[in-house]
Amino acid sequence: MCLAVPHRVVKIMDENRALVSTGGVELEVRTDLIEDLQVGDVVLVHAGFVIEKYNEDEGKELESLWEEVMQFASGR
Amino acid sequence: MGRLSLGHGSGGRLTNDLIKEIASTFARGSGMLEFEDCALLPGGWGVTIDGFTVSPLSFPGGDIGKLAICGSVNDLAVRGVRPLWLAMSLLAEEGLDEEELLVYMRSAASVCAELGVQLVAGDTKVLPRGEADRLYITTCAMGKNEAISPWGIKEVSPGDAIIVSGPVGRHGAVIASLRYDIKLRELESDCAPLWPLIEPLTRLRDVHAARDCTRGGLGTVLCEWAEGANVGIEIDEEAIPADGDVSAVSDILGFDPLYLACEGTAVFAVASERAETVLETLCSHPIGRSAAVIGKATDAHPGLVGLRTAAGGMRVVDMQGGELLPRIC
Amino acid sequence: MPQVGDLRAKMSSLLEALDKWLCRPITVMEVCGTHTVSIFRSGIRTMLPEGVRLLSGPGCPVCVTDQAEVDAMVRLAKRPGVVLATYGDMVRVPGSCGSLAEARASGAEVAVVSSAIQALALAGSIQDKEIVFAGIGFETTAPATAVLLREARSKNVKNLSVLSLHKLVPPVLRLLASDPMLNIDGFLLPGHVSTIIGTAPYAFLAEEYGKACAVAGFEPLDIMSGIVEIARQICEGRPAVRRLYGRVVRHEGNVKAQELLEEVFRPASVRWRGIGLVEASGLVLADDYSDFDAYSRFGITLEEVSPPAGCRCGDVLAGRITPPECPLFGRSCTPQFPVGPCMVSSEGSCSAYYRYSSKGVSPWGA
Repeated sequence: MCLAVPHRVVKIMDENRALVSTGGVELEVRTDLIEDLQVGDVVLVHAGFVIEKYNEDEGKELESLWEEVMQFASGR
Repeated sequence: MGRLSLGHGSGGRLTNDLIKEIASTFARGSGMLEFEDCALLPGGWGVTIDGFTVSPLSFPGGDIGKLAICGSVNDLAVRGVRPLWLAMSLLAEEGLDEEELLVYMRSAASVCAELGVQLVAGDTKVLPRGEADRLYITTCAMGKNEAISPWGIKEVSPGDAIIVSGPVGRHGAVIASLRYDIKLRELESDCAPLWPLIEPLTRLRDVHAARDCTRGGLGTVLCEWAEGANVGIEIDEEAIPADGDVSAVSDILGFDPLYLACEGTAVFAVASERAETVLETLCSHPIGRSAAVIGKATDAHPGLVGLRTAAGGMRVVDMQGGELLPRIC
Repeated sequence: MPQVGDLRAKMSSLLEALDKWLCRPITVMEVCGTHTVSIFRSGIRTMLPEGVRLLSGPGCPVCVTDQAEVDAMVRLAKRPGVVLATYGDMVRVPGSCGSLAEARASGAEVAVVSSAIQALALAGSIQDKEIVFAGIGFETTAPATAVLLREARSKNVKNLSVLSLHKLVPPVLRLLASDPMLNIDGFLLPGHVSTIIGTAPYAFLAEEYGKACAVAGFEPLDIMSGIVEIARQICEGRPAVRRLYGRVVRHEGNVKAQELLEEVFRPASVRWRGIGLVEASGLVLADDYSDFDAYSRFGITLEEVSPPAGCRCGDVLAGRITPPECPLFGRSCTPQFPVGPCMVSSEGSCSAYYRYSSKGVSPWGA
């Protein structure tokens, strides 16, 4: 129910708008739902709003599942 | 039967059903109409007609004038017909700037000059303000069939290689971006005349069919081939030439690039032993640089188009269902 | 996050792991409509072993919009002087007297927006009309409507109102988890709803109902990882809510968005198509924002409306039947001529089965 796409923040336009891009495509989005946005942040955009920032460090649980999966795969 | 909806004009199943309904009212008088991009007439002539209502009238990569010529001459080209003559009808809204109209006409004339196509007949009407959306153009293109063997849906055969001439969905993605306020840095419509790309293929045997993937996109064309020729088609998602910006726009709006319109990209069905030659020929032309074999026709599952996904699974490709609408879900 | 380098190889590794951890046949409900579509589009169904049964759940906000709500939207759109602004998803949903698309064909003004805030711009540029924004979607989308309302109020916009059709996910999950007929072993939980609400609201699924849960993203690798995790939890007898989408889901969720929702909306019991009234599962405008409430501005009450005869969307949404088991599927109900929203919604189960698995009889399974 939630089509959302990662984008990189290219420009902070004002307190509730930013310009984000994926490759050669740029979009103006609302930033009302997020704090402390910086240029260069990778964000998740849904229906014209930034709903969260990407944080690779928080992916620990998926990483640990993968470690086990890869161990299992290489053990075969 | 009810009122016409935008879905009836968007090139998928609803459009096809409507066309069949309309065609059947003429069937008795003029013989069964073929559902091909252009009609082949006795004496080796080809003719086609197409209406252009693009909004906005100007877009990265072209304008309605360029589109109006390319759209029709491409419908000829994909049946191996060299475009020679053009008739054009303009329906303009009161208040349209005359200089603007001439800009579009110069674009159209430029394509004609490039191809050696002559404008031989035309008509212009001006409608009261509010009764037309600025400008509609209809073009009727005519030419000479030069394909040494017949090109058409019925020729598509099991074993044929399916080849696409370039990244799909560029025109549709550009128009959608303009409509929904997405800024593009580089992406342009692929709007271009296909005859220069296709002409060398008319001299080859074993080219079975070609189509330009306009409304409804590549997905719809493949479904029409599968159903019209009663063959199965299998394609590989990884093999389809893709443009990163088209993917980005599609992701944002929830579209599938398979169904986004192209205006200068063609798909071919050729006998498998001919595939390499066709590919080399296409790749040697600037607009065919990224041409690729994307799959094959098969005698398994006739009427169905299957796609091997990037993840390694299989799914069916159906015809575009109706109006393409952006989604948030 | 696994690098996508060789996707097919990675998917194979996950399938091997699934093979190892599938101790018995399991039924997994993937709640979110976007998961349903991703699963079909990626062909995952054709790759899963026999013992994994995937049920689609009611996470398609369009599909669960009650018939009465659709009718209210269509009636509003037909009112002279009203422009109904909506996400594209709702335009073709059939109501008792036609869809918004059909209303538009007869002259109603329907504006398709890709962001709620565009409704504000519309109100500014069409001053002599009333703009009504239809707010559909779950917790992922409701905050955008909340921003629209807050800004409309701060700018004192008079010709804008909101018809809130927003619904909440955890309450309906409780209903499904407690349904003995459904026999769900695990839930693939919606990644983007979780971005807003975090993982705590799902804890009851594991703690009270013993369901194995994974909050997953939407790429094929994410989804397959979620299914593997669920199988493993079941095999090892340790149901939990595992956050496999940490790259955008914090345990606490998006607190700012949650606070905004609390300011602008309040929960209410609303009707979900085919499921009925679910307690505290919808969002209505809070008293402070009641002047923007389209229900009161236009005197709209929602009566109980029966869905079209034979329509079994409700059973599909609740996972009781699969789309091919509905007698209308592929016959009188197709994407071109849909009877119910499950067929017209881009995320509806029926639409997905029809389009991606050839009306449920795909030669490749699924």
